Amino acid sequence: MSVDTTTESAPAPKRGRNILLGLTLFGLLAALWLALGLSTNAFWTPGNISNLLRQGAMTAILAVGQTFVIITAGIDLSVGAIVGFTSVIVAWLLQAGVPLWASIILTLLMGVAIGAFHGFGIVRMGLPPFIITLATLTSLRGIGLLITNGSTISINHEGFTNFSRTDFLGVPSLFWMVILVAIPAFVFLHLSRFGRYLFAVGSNSEAARLSGVNVNRTIYLAYILSATCAAFVGLLLASRIGIGNATQAEGWELQAIASSVIGGTSLFGAVGSVHGPLLGAFILATINNGANLLNVNSFWQRIITGLLIIVIVYFDQLRRRGSR
Amino acid sequence: MSSLEELSHRHDDQAKRADTVPRGAAILELRGLQKKYGLVEALKPATVTFLAGEIHAIVGENGAGKSTLIKLLTGVITRTAGEVFWCGKPVQLATPTEAISRGINAVHQEVVLCAHLSVAANMFLGDEMNRYGMMRKGAMEKAAQAVLDDLGFQLPAAALLGSLTIGQQQLVATAKAAMRGIRFLIFDEPTAYLTRQESAQLFRLIRRLRDQGVTIVYISHRMEEVFELADRVSVLRDGTHVGTRLIGETNETELIALMINRTIEQIYHKEKVAIGKPIVETKSLSGPGFEDVSLTVRSGEIVGLYGLIGAGRSEFALGLYGRQPVKSGEIYWEGQKVEIPHERKAMDLGIALAPESRRDQGLCLNLPIGLNINLPVFKRLSSGLVIRKGDEAENAERQIRDLRIKTPSRRVLASAMSGGNQQKIVIGKWLSHGAKLFIFDEPTVGVDVGTKAEIYRLFGELLKRGAGIILISSYLPEVYELSDRLHVFRGGRLVASHDHRAGTHEDVLTQAIGI
Repeated sequence: MSVDTTTESAPAPKRGRNILLGLTLFGLLAALWLALGLSTNAFWTPGNISNLLRQGAMTAILAVGQTFVIITAGIDLSVGAIVGFTSVIVAWLLQAGVPLWASIILTLLMGVAIGAFHGFGIVRMGLPPFIITLATLTSLRGIGLLITNGSTISINHEGFTNFSRTDFLGVPSLFWMVILVAIPAFVFLHLSRFGRYLFAVGSNSEAARLSGVNVNRTIYLAYILSATCAAFVGLLLASRIGIGNATQAEGWELQAIASSVIGGTSLFGAVGSVHGPLLGAFILATINNGANLLNVNSFWQRIITGLLIIVIVYFDQLRRRGSR
Repeated sequence: MSSLEELSHRHDDQAKRADTVPRGAAILELRGLQKKYGLVEALKPATVTFLAGEIHAIVGENGAGKSTLIKLLTGVITRTAGEVFWCGKPVQLATPTEAISRGINAVHQEVVLCAHLSVAANMFLGDEMNRYGMMRKGAMEKAAQAVLDDLGFQLPAAALLGSLTIGQQQLVATAKAAMRGIRFLIFDEPTAYLTRQESAQLFRLIRRLRDQGVTIVYISHRMEEVFELADRVSVLRDGTHVGTRLIGETNETELIALMINRTIEQIYHKEKVAIGKPIVETKSLSGPGFEDVSLTVRSGEIVGLYGLIGAGRSEFALGLYGRQPVKSGEIYWEGQKVEIPHERKAMDLGIALAPESRRDQGLCLNLPIGLNINLPVFKRLSSGLVIRKGDEAENAERQIRDLRIKTPSRRVLASAMSGGNQQKIVIGKWLSHGAKLFIFDEPTVGVDVGTKAEIYRLFGELLKRGAGIILISSYLPEVYELSDRLHVFRGGRLVASHDHRAGTHEDVLTQAIGI
């Protein structure tokens, strides 16, 4: 049939966009490392690099979990609070004499439960993600403070607290944890059908539903993964500082969201990757680290971070508009 | 003087009053107007004259250049070459502001108003009545109500816009444009989502504006509307202006021939397929929006559901598909009694639904075409948790090829496609799923004649494979010509049934409206 309606001027395929963004961010990270290496002697020391990798590791894991949620066009404001809360839980369990392996599993399950609660609030109660996770943000801090009676629980388990200081093959264990999370996360988001479903739900949940996607289950899944990543970070933090304290990790949810957004995730949903937020988290960590080394006032660090978010996301928007 | 005219005179003191032309004289002349995107010539040099106080229809397939022309006229894009004369003087029309200041306005298919504001607030948006810097809410409501009453719309000015149907919102958008003292008003497929009554109200308004000397450009795929409304009609094909006719000197056959070089019989091409055993049978099925619907779909058969929008056809389809809970009644699938509590059950049985709204229900617009096509079948394309990349690509490529979806790649976003190609993506989703019963809800809304013919041909293919089709449409010629059995819905109930081409158009219409 020769119905030659003019071929609409569809844009060229944008296969490379994700990869391109990844490369740009990687370039930015490399440039930062190079510049800091040239301007301070302290940067390229094994101690500092290990420190940097440890600093970035926890935000990176939070950001990956957060990205799953943002891809569904949701938001998880509770992750910082979950980190603080679960650090209390694991300290409490260890103090009560629960074996280490059981404490870890129970803490992670606590993350699963919190995520499932978020899913319940969104799917069954019809609450906006912003509201339900904001509510758990404040409540979890409160529950954590109640458990500890406003103070901290110190952890006397040597093996647990030493873990964060150990290296494996010359790389900090905490950074290995990022890889441990990132590889399954990559498989899940980019290679499995559930990853596709996250994107579909974030793009148009009704179309996804009518295509047989279990939208409710997908939403549960996203929030459970995010909260479980946060609980995992809670374990790492408890190991690093050796205490359980509900007020720890204040504002980390914003760090995680910022990392994710810098990494190319769209807050409108349906756009995002695993490598993006990882790079975003380490860019933020490098800026903080570099600012410390250069003796920049820590107040300035916050300002710089804010400006950086604007600049990076603005350039991403420009590129997207150009490609449409 | 009517309240509409009073309000529109609020704007008459502006500069545009200066350049008036007598009724019937050329108000807007396009001479060799051309638009290129890179190497693609979206509009080949076109010379068209619009007369003051005429209704000028523009017809053509999707991609024929209609949207390009509208965008040029409203200043959304700038021309590559050619000249535009407004009231005899050359003008730029480089920005939307310039177009609006000259009195050129467009009413779009998708309503662009604020759902959370009242009807009155929307009508006065950007042009509020003020006194001492405070808005005169009461006065605006009163004035808006007067205009609405005057137009016979029977809409409450104080109601929230979001509480109205899409059709009613469209009427508000038109009333708003009419209030702004326009000289030249472009309608882009305005009736796509309107019920018959709403269309009639809109037509009354359009004629009235014409009688006041406003020039109307009316773009539509619906031939009967063009003949009902227009004074003259221009045809575009492949970016070329192929002719302008006085409406009295042309007919549907000639226009279609100009548009696509094919006849009506060739468009509504109906395959003769032997009708087999029942695939699905509903008995007194009731649910939200439909009641006591009993019908049967056999293999090789197209069952048409005709009715006004809101008559319960789409609701019935969603109920059958498990999207809406069914209250009572029974569903038999190939003779077996079944329950369909959710969409996946329907899919597992072998039901496919191409829903009414591509934008809201059919497509994930900001995702690639390939992902959209594969969405229902990712389970089949996966080994364990992981998707087999090769099969994923192959399945998408095959649908794109078979359905002739015009795209350079399966990775292009669905939003970049035209209406017709988007509809093909929705259909492609279900071809790979291998369903036995296909429900097509308004499959040809906003789709050009050529793509329509392709979609109808596809129906034939599906029937030959032994599938059954439920075809829901508000476009009577389509269901009338294609259905082996035609059911008419009114007020949520199935009120009449016809065999293929039994009963006249008028009969069916009367049954649907209920007079």
